[in-house]
This record gives sequence, structure tokens and C-alpha cells, in this order.
Amino acid sequence: MISGQVDLKSSGSRADGASMRMKLSSVLALAAALLLAACNSSNVKFSIVSGSENTVLEPIVQEFCAKQGATCTISYQGSLDIGLGLQKPEGLDQDAVWPASSVWVDLFDSGRKVRNLTSIAQMPVILGVRKSKAAELGWIGKQVYMKDILAAVKDGKMKFLMTSATQSNSGASAYLAMLSGALGGKQVIEPGDLDNPSVHDTVSALLQGVERSSGSSGWLADLYVDSARKGTLYDAMWNYEATLKETNDKLKQMGDERLYAVYPADGVAVGDSPLGFIDHGRGADVEKFFTDLLAYLQTDAVRKRIGDTGRRLPLGGAAIQATAEPDWNFDPGKLVTSIRMPEPAVIRTALNLYQEALRKPSLTALCFDFSGSMENEGEKQLQEAAQFLFTPEKSSEVLVQWTPSDHIFVLPFDSTVRDIFDATGDPGGQNQLLGDVAQQRAGGGTDMYACASQALRKILATPDLSKYLPAIVIMTDGRTDGSAEPFLAEWRQAPVPVPVFGITFGDADKSQLDSLAKATSARVFDGGGDLAGAFRAARGYN
Amino acid sequence: MALSRRAFGLGLLGAAAAGTGGYLTLKDRPEFRGYLGNRVHLFGFIGGEKQAFLADPDVVGALGGYGLELDARVAGSVEMVREPALLTQKPQFLWPSSSIMVDLARKSGVSIRNDQVVLNSPIVVYTWGPVVEGLKRSGLVSVAAKGGYNQLDLKALLDAILAGKNWSDLGISELYGRARIVSTDPNRSNSGFMFAGLVLSLMSGDVATQELLAQHGEAAKAIFRSMGLKSSSSGKLFDQYIAGGLGAEPMVVGYENQLVEWALADPARWQRVQAGAGAKPEILYPRPTVYSAHPLIVIDPAVDQLLEALTSPKLQELAWSKHGFRGPLGTVAGDADAIAGVRPAEIEAVLPMPSADVMLSLLSQMEV
Repeated sequence: MISGQVDLKSSGSRADGASMRMKLSSVLALAAALLLAACNSSNVKFSIVSGSENTVLEPIVQEFCAKQGATCTISYQGSLDIGLGLQKPEGLDQDAVWPASSVWVDLFDSGRKVRNLTSIAQMPVILGVRKSKAAELGWIGKQVYMKDILAAVKDGKMKFLMTSATQSNSGASAYLAMLSGALGGKQVIEPGDLDNPSVHDTVSALLQGVERSSGSSGWLADLYVDSARKGTLYDAMWNYEATLKETNDKLKQMGDERLYAVYPADGVAVGDSPLGFIDHGRGADVEKFFTDLLAYLQTDAVRKRIGDTGRRLPLGGAAIQATAEPDWNFDPGKLVTSIRMPEPAVIRTALNLYQEALRKPSLTALCFDFSGSMENEGEKQLQEAAQFLFTPEKSSEVLVQWTPSDHIFVLPFDSTVRDIFDATGDPGGQNQLLGDVAQQRAGGGTDMYACASQALRKILATPDLSKYLPAIVIMTDGRTDGSAEPFLAEWRQAPVPVPVFGITFGDADKSQLDSLAKATSARVFDGGGDLAGAFRAARGYN
Repeated sequence: MALSRRAFGLGLLGAAAAGTGGYLTLKDRPEFRGYLGNRVHLFGFIGGEKQAFLADPDVVGALGGYGLELDARVAGSVEMVREPALLTQKPQFLWPSSSIMVDLARKSGVSIRNDQVVLNSPIVVYTWGPVVEGLKRSGLVSVAAKGGYNQLDLKALLDAILAGKNWSDLGISELYGRARIVSTDPNRSNSGFMFAGLVLSLMSGDVATQELLAQHGEAAKAIFRSMGLKSSSSGKLFDQYIAGGLGAEPMVVGYENQLVEWALADPARWQRVQAGAGAKPEILYPRPTVYSAHPLIVIDPAVDQLLEALTSPKLQELAWSKHGFRGPLGTVAGDADAIAGVRPAEIEAVLPMPSADVMLSLLSQMEV
């Protein structure tokens, strides 16, 4: 068996599809395969698409794969993206899904592609508040209700990080808990409730508290830790109880202040972290591998390890859950009242309402690279991007549509910024921007930093800036002249940190964009392959 | 497995044949017919709650004794009697989870040779220790004089839910917010379907009719609206109950046999739950409740043998002692340890379901 484990690496690299670079490695791989077959191992290739909160569990899964002689690939997506993938007629390519909550499977898997969906852990979505802030608000050791959180936001005493409700389960959970709270403790949100103006007012006031958003709970937690490392401590973050534990473990190591766990007493949404099988007809051994993986994850020893990450375990798990840490109010044994999930139609309406009316408006400056290197293919992709972005029928399909309260700048650039177009997110404004972009032709040099500077100035000059979630998005092939430093000097002087996202096109060189994104706590997405996907991802952060 | 059992059967046959008249004796005993080698393969659809029962090696063995081998595929009770895609596969039998399905099958043009209720499982409410304690304090739960099981005044609970009462009003201080109960989607799954019939009858004050539906349907529908997202299958809802615990799933509707089967499936786990400090799962028997009957619908004459086998004392005993299913009249076959709380030998106050046409009207009104 030991040889099986060691040799697995070479068999894995072969499976990665790298064409035979070295004869030696393929010989090794063959030897490994034979050895594994001799050990009765499966040699199965198995892929899982999972919510980012499960990154911490990947080693546990990979250990099992290694023991089985299987090659496992785990990719990460927002739970709503996993749902949208299931909804497509062709479904998902992976063999298994592991979203944060079975709600998204119930909602989107109309073709019943997912089988044997089984909860691995329970994960309440709660509010972590910097401990001194929690003390200032008088929340230590107290029952905190959604109305208390609302009051803190309205009084300007607290802002928070929260993932996009239309992309990530933790954001959707926090949002649905806000809606439930605003309804004053009804059993469940019913269709007519979402037309109630006072509910709109309450929830949009709560969402004004959003300081940064993202499409992924894991990334949001990393943002909190990275920012703390750079000296910026955000007030609070909505995330999974277990993810807050992970975050606090890191903050403790860094000697930084930890987040105090606030379990809103009027109810939270609890993700059940289910693992389910998608049968692609790839044979009985693939299905058996899944069943075995599920059984392995339910053994006592593995449950103990899952519990150690701060996750709650289904019935009978109390004894092996992580120990409570009273200094930040963490207690996986604490009973949390969970809100009842509404009917699918109500959830859909609620998500549209979030995107179109209640979320904090975006203030987005889009830098379009029309330099010479974008000629032909790059230019074509750029025009397609504009078509997608500014055609509401297309963008609303994946819940990234603009709303009239959004404010958009479009800056076509080469070695200088050619023009600045400015519109609100209503259909007329979008149409106008679409026309403006359509007239651009590629040519000239490139300086994306010049565009970033102009974009930053436009954003900072916007009245009522605090009402918006600002971001700069640079769409480019990445080859640029100029240098980052003058822009970054300006950026550091700005009263609010404006993240600079990148979407790459053509044969992109990502290195300069990457360092810009990193310096401004943002991300780079690949627009060359799945354009809608890249925009959906980027918009989740804005 | 099958091979060794066959070998065993042949051995038995050999031994029997050694004695004079042994063969004839065997031939007259239907439970040994299978050992004579004439196995019959039967294909049909079953409700998912009976899957574990039919997959049980003891059950497979006992059916094998009758010379029967089943290809039983899982389908929803409603769809197996109505869905052309399933009926055109020419099933030899159907085994749904409610007697009304026999009427529905007939309406779909299934030529029914015979039908008989083989198993029964009352609709129960699954909850947790602290809820039972609280409901005892507020008088909604009482201990049955005969049998000592916990019975729930379901009408009073439904009235409290409709009145928007909080858990604390019902004596449960552990839970915040409004009291609620959740079942599966009545349009997809049988336990929710049965519960809908029960709720409608309770709201009507009598077994519901079309007139009573017109008067009291709104109240029944309001109960289901307050549930929000409803699961498509009884098995899924039960799993959510177990995984979610007191905070997430304080009260769900299910079949009596589900917790029994769950406990018997892993006795060590069950011991751990009982010994643990956390809230423990509990069964409440609504008073009155309805029985989910499991009628075997015989289409092909070859299935007569299956009906005989399933109603035999041996299989009835396995159904009760290992899977928690009751017999045709709701009675229990043989003894069983009181697992998962009290399993009364007899349940008082059982209501018949409203007729098929009333249920179909109610369902169509609840379709979203």
C-alpha cells in the first residue's frame, strides 16, 4: 500500500494530460498503474465542484483519493454558480457537487441530475465583529437581533464584508436572514412579503453596510486576513461560523484582534454542506468510489477532523465537535435558530430583488484596452464583452444585471485615455455605452496605468461616494507600458480603497495585472474562455 | 451470496430427497419452492421508503425461498400510478405508499388483477426532546393511557401555527420565533400527501369532502404555505431532520418506520445518540393520525406469489422487527425491542383519508 501512495504522484501527473514530456515519467506512471492495480486500487478519475469554504477539507478528501489510487480534481465555485451549472441542459461535467447548501440543488437541479445528496456538516452563517467594535456596540455576551445590526449600520458605527447574495451561499444566507428579520419573525418569507416597501427600506439600509463584496466566502475571509496584515482592520464580516474560526486562528497567529461571533437571535440560515453524485454513466467503479468517499467522510475519525475545523456535525457529533472558544463567543454546540428557507419561486424573486433594487449600488469604471495589440481577436472579444455587459437580457440571465442606481464609466484607452463615457445603469444608459464602445477600433500604444488613474479620479469625484461599492475593472491583454507606481501612490492617498480588477483577453500576460490586483485587494479573471463566467465572477466583487 | 444460497438449497433438496416423500413435502411448502430451482423474476415500481426493506439480505433470502427475484425500481407513489413513461415499461406490479394510489392507477387505465395492503406505517411527527417536554407543559402532548407513547394534539398545534404563536407560547423556551411544522411536498411525495389529507380533515372537523374542502381548504393551504421550501421525498426530509437537529428542523412529518430503520441500521450510532448530551430525536403520534398503507397492486398473475410471500408471517415479522413496518391492519408481527422511543402495539384514533377526488382537488389547489 505504501508504494501505492508514493507512486500516486506520477500517475497523477500523467492524468493531468501533460503530453509525454519525459519517457521516464510515463514509464513510472505505467509502473504505478500496474502496482495500483495489483493493490486492488481503483484508478478512478473523479472530479468534484465545491464551494470555496471546503478548501480546508480538500486534504482530507485527497488523502482518501490517494489511498484508493484515484485521481481527484476539486474545483471551487460559488454555490449559486454550481446551481446555475446544474440548471443548464448539459449540466455540470464533474462527478460530484459539494455546494454549501442543498437549497441550491433543490432550486436549480430541475433535471434531478444529482443523486444521494448527503449532508457532511452544518454551517450557520453568522456575523463576526471585531471584538473591540462588538464591545463598543455593547454586544459582548448579549442577544443581538437583526434590528441591532441595522441600528449600528444606520448610525454609521459598523460596516461589514459580505459575499454577493446572487453568487455565494453565505451572502444569500445573510441576505435571506435580513429579509426574515425585517418581516418581524414570520415563519417564512411568502411571495407578497417582497412587495412590502418597509421590508425594502430595512434591507437596503442593512446592505448599505457592505464595505466589500465578493463572489466567494473563502476569498472574503482571505481579504479580511490580508487587509489586517496590511494594517486595515474591517469592522465585521458575514461568513460561516467555521470560516470565522479559520480566520480567527490566523488573526491570532498574527497577533491581531479577533472577530467576535454574533449569532443573530432572530435566526440565521444554516448551510448543510451536502455532497452529491452526478451520474455521467462512467461506470460502476466511479459510483462506487463516490459511495466509498461518502462512507469515509462519515467515519468517526474523519468526522472528528471535520469537526476540528469548526464545522457542526449531524446528530451524534456533539462529542467530537471543536471545543468552544468563549473569548470570541464561538460555540459549535450552541443551539442556533435557523430561518426557514422560502419556496423556490420566492428565493428567485428575492435574488432578483437583491440584484435590481436592494444591493448597494455599484460605481464601476471599466477600462477597455483598444491598443494595437488587441487588434482582431482581442478587439472582437472586447466588443462581445460590451455586448454581454450592456444587454440586460444577457446579463440578467446570470444575475449580474445593472440597475438604474448603478453608475458606470467607460474608458477606452491606448497609450492615453481616449474618452470617458458616463451613464447610469438604466437600459437607456447601457445602450448608449454599448454604442460608444462599438465605435472604438484597436490601434496605438498601451498604458493601462494611465487609464486606472483617470478611472480612480472619476470615482473619487463622484458625489455621495459612500453610497456606492466602487471598483475599477481593466479589460486588457495585459501588455502595457508605463509603470504602476505613480498610480499606486495616488491610490494610497485616496480616502477609500478602490479595488482594481482585471479581465484578460487574447493571449494575455497576467503578471502586471496580477500585481495591480494584489496591491489593491482585488482579483484577475480570465475572459478568454468563458466570458460570461468571468464577468459574473468580477461583478460578484462589485 | 445468491450462489451459496442456491448451493445451500440444493443441499437441502438433496437431504430431503433422501427421505421418502421429501420432495412432495417441499413442493407443498411455498416458502421452499425456490429451492427447487424455478425462480421467477418480477419487475415493478416501489416507493423509496421500502427500498431498504427489499434490499435487506434476509428479505431477499426469504423471497428467494418463494422462488422470487425482484427488480424493484424506486419511483414516487404518485408518478408510478400516473406517469406514462413508467407505465409503458410494463411493470408487473406497483407498490405505492397509499391506498388512494390504487384508485389513481385504475383511472390511468392500469388493469389491476388484485390489490392488497401489505404493510402499514402511521404518519408521525419527528421532533426533539426539548420540544416534547415543552409541549407536555403546554398540554399539546400527552402520554397515551394504553401503550405509554407520546401523542400530539395535532389540531391544537395547527391552530397555534395559524395563530402565529411563538415556540415560547407553546412552552419551548429553547427555540426563538414562530412555531412551525414541515412536511414533504404533497404534490410529489406521499408523506406530504397523507399529511395534507390529515390537515384538511382536522381543519374540517371530519373526514374531508368536497364541501368541507371549499370551506376549510384555505386554512389547510395556509399551513403548507408556512412551510416554505418543501422537500421532494420523505427520505430526504428525514435526512434533513437528522442532520439539521433541533435548531434547523424542530418538527417534521414522516413515517413511523423511518426512525426505527435509522436506529437499526447502525445500533452503535443510536447508542451514542442516546448517551450523548444533545437533544434526542423523538416520535410524536398525532391524535388522530392517518395510516400510510402500502398496497401491492398485482398486474401480472406471476405476482400472486409475491403477495403470498409478503403477507407470510416470516416477512411480516422481518418488516416489523428490522424495518418498523406494521402489518395490513396496523398490527405488529411479533415482538420488537422498543427502539427509538415507544412503538405502541396499537395506535388509537386513526382517521381514514379523504377520497381520491377530494385529494386531487386539494393537490391541484396547492400546486405552485
